[in-house]
Amino acid sequence: MPPESSGAGRSIERASADRIYYTLAAVIGGTVGIYFLVVPVLDLNIAFHFYLMLWITMASAFNVAAGFSGYMPFGFVAFYGVGAFTTAILVKSLGFPVLLALPFSGVAGVILGLLFAPTLRLSGIYFAIVSLALAGICRLVISNMPDHITGGSFGLQLGSRAEPVHSFYVMMAVMLLALGTILWLSRSRLGKALRAVRDDAEAADMMGVNVTRVRLYGWLIAAFFPAVCGGVEAWYTNVVDTETAFNTLTTAKTVIYAVAGGLGTVTGPIVGSVVMVWLDELIWRQFPLLNLLILGVATVMLVLFLPRGIVGTILRRRPEWRRYIP
Amino acid sequence: MEILVLNGIVNGLIVGGIYALIGMSLTLLYGVLRIVNFAHGEFVIGGSFLAYALFSNLGLAPLFSLPVAALSFFAMGWGAYYLLLPRLQKSDDPEIMSFLMMYGVSIALAAVMLLIFEADSRSIDYSFTPISMKVGPIYVSTARIVAFGIVIVLAAALTWFLFRTLPGKALRATIMNPEAIKIVGVDVVKLSAFAFALASAIAGVTGVLVALVFPAFNPFSGAEYSIIGFIVVVLGGLGNPLGALLAGILYGLAEQLATVFLPQAMAPIVGFGILVAVILIRPTGLMGWRAQR
Repeated sequence: MPPESSGAGRSIERASADRIYYTLAAVIGGTVGIYFLVVPVLDLNIAFHFYLMLWITMASAFNVAAGFSGYMPFGFVAFYGVGAFTTAILVKSLGFPVLLALPFSGVAGVILGLLFAPTLRLSGIYFAIVSLALAGICRLVISNMPDHITGGSFGLQLGSRAEPVHSFYVMMAVMLLALGTILWLSRSRLGKALRAVRDDAEAADMMGVNVTRVRLYGWLIAAFFPAVCGGVEAWYTNVVDTETAFNTLTTAKTVIYAVAGGLGTVTGPIVGSVVMVWLDELIWRQFPLLNLLILGVATVMLVLFLPRGIVGTILRRRPEWRRYIP
Repeated sequence: MEILVLNGIVNGLIVGGIYALIGMSLTLLYGVLRIVNFAHGEFVIGGSFLAYALFSNLGLAPLFSLPVAALSFFAMGWGAYYLLLPRLQKSDDPEIMSFLMMYGVSIALAAVMLLIFEADSRSIDYSFTPISMKVGPIYVSTARIVAFGIVIVLAAALTWFLFRTLPGKALRATIMNPEAIKIVGVDVVKLSAFAFALASAIAGVTGVLVALVFPAFNPFSGAEYSIIGFIVVVLGGLGNPLGALLAGILYGLAEQLATVFLPQAMAPIVGFGILVAVILIRPTGLMGWRAQR
């Protein structure tokens, strides 16, 4: 920036940066939206794309906790599992229509987030371990509930309500809602406050940021979306059981996909999910037995050689792009 | 009822001894290297599978697997240190990234064990004669008593090593103040490699004992032991080996007594509950020796 640039010049520049930012966001969002919109129409692989959207949503929500707020919830699957069971129980036992049950999954996620809120005063490794333990508690509590509610070890069948194409479009709506929320968050006061608190809570407090409240809001956004994802996935597969709903691998994949793309950017988790889900599918098809091993090794390589993720590394090389890339 | 409680206490001590060993090695790793070893449970189960493989292929009794496990895991730990750690230390937040990296290692190790041994639960079909012994009014299997004896010897040896020998004191000094130890002229890289190797060796040996004490293990039981390890480490205060020893035994007692009074499936909930409560109320651990770090 030239030294003589005045306040007015700077605000014009900021406005143009904003314009590029939102244009880029709209172009990316539009492309992603149209692409997914035509998947069922062109009879492409619905299952693959359904899970791709699911992982994009999960990784983006995780990004709100890990990238924006600086928490590493290694028990992220708790929200997903509780959301899945909420939808399944409401549909199965209380006869709710699925579309009406899904918002309750989100509410359940938010309630769970509120219950876990006291852990937000922990940081770093303590938070990660406690989160892991809380997910364990959730799994055990649900698997010890009476069989007529949760279906016991056989799981809950939602009945003949599977509608892959409908659940596909609902998943798409959820994904777009999540991406929109995060796009808004990354430029909003709340998002800036979250980043400030992440970088230095005391300094943010001094500047008048309500640290507790800001952290809580970020946390609840991160809790809402995985719970809805769980509900939609329950609808899509038509069955829920504790082993798959609370599988630690769900957390592992979410974390890995988000980190692969780069935490703290809107595009990071999208890029990470697209690349990794596609790779995962490729590996799965070629070597079904080695899938787990390769996932593990990929995680190690990622941490060692690309700790900032794909988008994060690009932004590190070209810091000036940071203003334009969502 | 008294018999049940007594049973709970005896088994609690035995199981607790195992947990204490897991906790001690895990806390040593954290203290010296600032690494949260998510894969520690897989190291342990790896030891169990080593004993299993040696017994079913060569007919080697589990007791003779102990030195084999110690040596091979020591070597593996040494290698793994130089393979993984130097690069990890360069990242922005090594502590949380180590958690993620070891998460990957744990998935990979579980997958390797799954490929070699398949998903079935295994147990070593080896029994001592006599099969069980009378301790007071109750019977305890000989395997468990032998395992407990080994736990005591190992814990005592480790404590002696940490408090009475020069390398052990250097390890403790690194836990307390990693900057100062560099100034004194200790080769921290070598010391860290040694700590990683030592912790892996203890984990491997613990795995052999796990095969003796617990009825069965499978490639995915590692995660349980990792979590128990975390509970013990946090209870004892991060980076405090003696705290981990005490916390392990306390946790084993709590878990086994919980199975006496509560349904079997509730025992892990008690464990997780203790962990969450301790972290929220008293993050320095039960002993609260902050100075030990």
